[in-house]
Amino acid sequence: MDLLEPEILLQLLINGLLAGALYALLAGGLNLIFGVMRVINIAHAEFMLIGAFGAYVLFNVFGLHPLLSLLIIVPAIFVVGYYFQRVLIERVVGRPMLTSLLATYGVSIILINVGLLIFSADFKSVPVLQGSFLVGELAISKPRTVAGLVSLILSVGVYLFLERTRLGKAVRAVSEHAQVAQICGIDVRQIRMLTFGMAAAMAGAAGVMLSIIYSFWPGSGVDFIQKCFAIIIIGGMGNFVGALYGGILLGVVESFVGGFISTQWAEAMAYLLLVAVLLIRPTGLKGVARA
Amino acid sequence: MPDLNQRMISVWAGTVLVGLAMLAPLGVNEYYQSFLLQVFLVIALAQAWNLISGMTGYVSFGHAAFFGVGAYAGALFLTWGFPWWLAILKGAGVAALLAVPLGFLTLRLRGPYFAIAMLGLNEVGRIVATLWVSLTKGGTGLTLSPTLLPSLDVKYFTMLALALGATLLIAWIHRSRFGLELRAIREDEEAAEMVGVNTTRNKVTAFVLSALIPGAVGAVYAMYTSYINPASAFDHARNIEMIVVVLFGGSGTVWGPIIGAATVMVIREMLWAQFPAAHLAALGVLLLVVVLYLPGGLVSIVRERQQKRPDARPGESP
Repeated sequence: MDLLEPEILLQLLINGLLAGALYALLAGGLNLIFGVMRVINIAHAEFMLIGAFGAYVLFNVFGLHPLLSLLIIVPAIFVVGYYFQRVLIERVVGRPMLTSLLATYGVSIILINVGLLIFSADFKSVPVLQGSFLVGELAISKPRTVAGLVSLILSVGVYLFLERTRLGKAVRAVSEHAQVAQICGIDVRQIRMLTFGMAAAMAGAAGVMLSIIYSFWPGSGVDFIQKCFAIIIIGGMGNFVGALYGGILLGVVESFVGGFISTQWAEAMAYLLLVAVLLIRPTGLKGVARA
Repeated sequence: MPDLNQRMISVWAGTVLVGLAMLAPLGVNEYYQSFLLQVFLVIALAQAWNLISGMTGYVSFGHAAFFGVGAYAGALFLTWGFPWWLAILKGAGVAALLAVPLGFLTLRLRGPYFAIAMLGLNEVGRIVATLWVSLTKGGTGLTLSPTLLPSLDVKYFTMLALALGATLLIAWIHRSRFGLELRAIREDEEAAEMVGVNTTRNKVTAFVLSALIPGAVGAVYAMYTSYINPASAFDHARNIEMIVVVLFGGSGTVWGPIIGAATVMVIREMLWAQFPAAHLAALGVLLLVVVLYLPGGLVSIVRERQQKRPDARPGESP
C-alpha cells in the first residue's frame, strides 16, 4: 500500500475533518465558558460523558437511537448546566483563577467516581450504525460521518445564535466586558447561567455522538479534556470560532499522524501541540492574553 | 507573623510527634505501622507540592509524575545491585534531574497555563513507562526480589525521615529570604521581578526541590510494595491526594500538610473500610468544600481563634 496515493490522503483528510468536528463541538463549549466567565471547567469532559452514558442507557433500556436521544439529552443537560452555574460556578466567578480550577477539578473527580460506582470501569459502546459509505475508491465510516456532520451542524448553529440573535450578542458582550454589559442593562448572571447551560449541552451532544463511534468508560474524560485544552490554546482562549478551527486542526493532524506513523503517536499529538504552542507563546496564540 | 511563643509551641509539638513516631514500632502491630508509613508518605508528598504550589501559587496537577519516576528509578537501581539507600538517593536524583529542563520550560507559563501543561505530565509518564518495555517491562511491571528489600522497620524510619526532612525544608524556606521571595511571586510576580527578585531562578529551584522529595518517596514506595507497574507508579489519584491534603490542612503553611495528611488519611481509612469505591469521590467533595468554604484550610481556623484580630482574614487559597 502506498501511503502517498491521493485516495489515501483524501481518506485521511476526511477522517480527520470528521473527528475534528466532534472535537470542535466539545472544545467550543469549554471556550465559551472561559470567554464569558474566565473559568476553566476541568469537568467539561465529564459533562460529555454524561451525554454518552445517557445515550447508552436510553439505547439499552428503551432501545432509543442516539440521534433521537439527542432530543432528550441536550435539553436535559442544558438544564443541569444552567443550575450547576447557579449553585456552584457562580461562587467562583471573579475569584482567583486557581480557585475555579480546583473547584471544577473537584467536580470532575466526583463525577468520574460516581460514574464508576454506577457503570463500573468496563468500556461501553452504542453499536447502532455499522459499515461504510463507498464513494468511488473511498470508504467512509457511517458512524463517523453521522457524528461529524451532526457535530458540525450543532457548532454552526451555536455560531449563528451568537452572531445573529439578541441573546447571542448579549453573551458576546459579557464575554468582552462584563461590567460594561451590566451597565448596558444585560442581566450578567442570567447570561452566565445560559452560557454554562449551552456549553454543557454542547458537551452532552458531543458525548452522544462519541457514544456511536468510540467505546468509553467513566475515566475517558481525561484524554478528551487534554485535547480540549490543546485546542482552545491553539485556537485562542475565549475565542469560540478559534476553538472550532483548533478542533478541526487537531482532528486532521491526529488522522495524518495516525496514518503515517502510529496511533499511539496520534494520541500524543494533542499534548505535543499544546506544549509547542505554549513554548512559542507562553500566553497562548490568540484570544485573552491575561486571564 | 507567628510570635516567639507560637514558634515554641510548634517546635515542642513537632518534637513530641516525631518522638511518638519513632517509638511507635515498639507498641503497634504491623497494620498500624504500615498505616503510619503511608501517612508519612502522604505528608512528604504534600510538603513537596506545598513547596511549589502553596508557596509560589504555581499549581501543579502533575506532580505525581516525579513520584512515578522515582519509583521506577529506585526499583531499577535496586535490581541492578545498588544498596537500598543508594537506590533511594538515585531515585531522588533522577526525578530532580528531570525537573531541571521541565521547570525551565513550564515555569515560563503563567497561572492556568502552567496548571494545564502539568496536567498531562503524569499521563506522559504512564505512557513512557508502558512503551519503554526494554527498561520497564511495560505493563507487566517490575517485581523486586524480597532478598534485596530492607525490612519494614527500615522502610518505616526512612519514610519518617523523608516526611521530617521535607517538613524541615519547608519550615526553613518559610522563614528564609528565599521563602519570602517565593511568596512575593505568588502575590504579584511582575512586582516581585521589578523589585529585583530573580523569579526564574527561584521558581526553578523550588520546582527541583519539590521534585526531589517525591522522587525519593517513590523509590521507598517501590520497596514498600515490592511491585510497581505503570498504573500504580503513575497513579492519577496521587495527584488528587496531594492537592486535597495541602488545601485541607492549609496551603503555604508548615503545619497545614501534616494536619491535612493525618485527617485525610484517617477519613480515607474509615471510608475505605465502609465504602471501598467511594473514597475518591469523597476526596472530590472534600476538595470542593475546602475551596468554597475554607480557603485557608484547617490551619486558618486555629489561627483565627488565636489572633481574633478584626482585620485577620484567612489567606486566599492560591
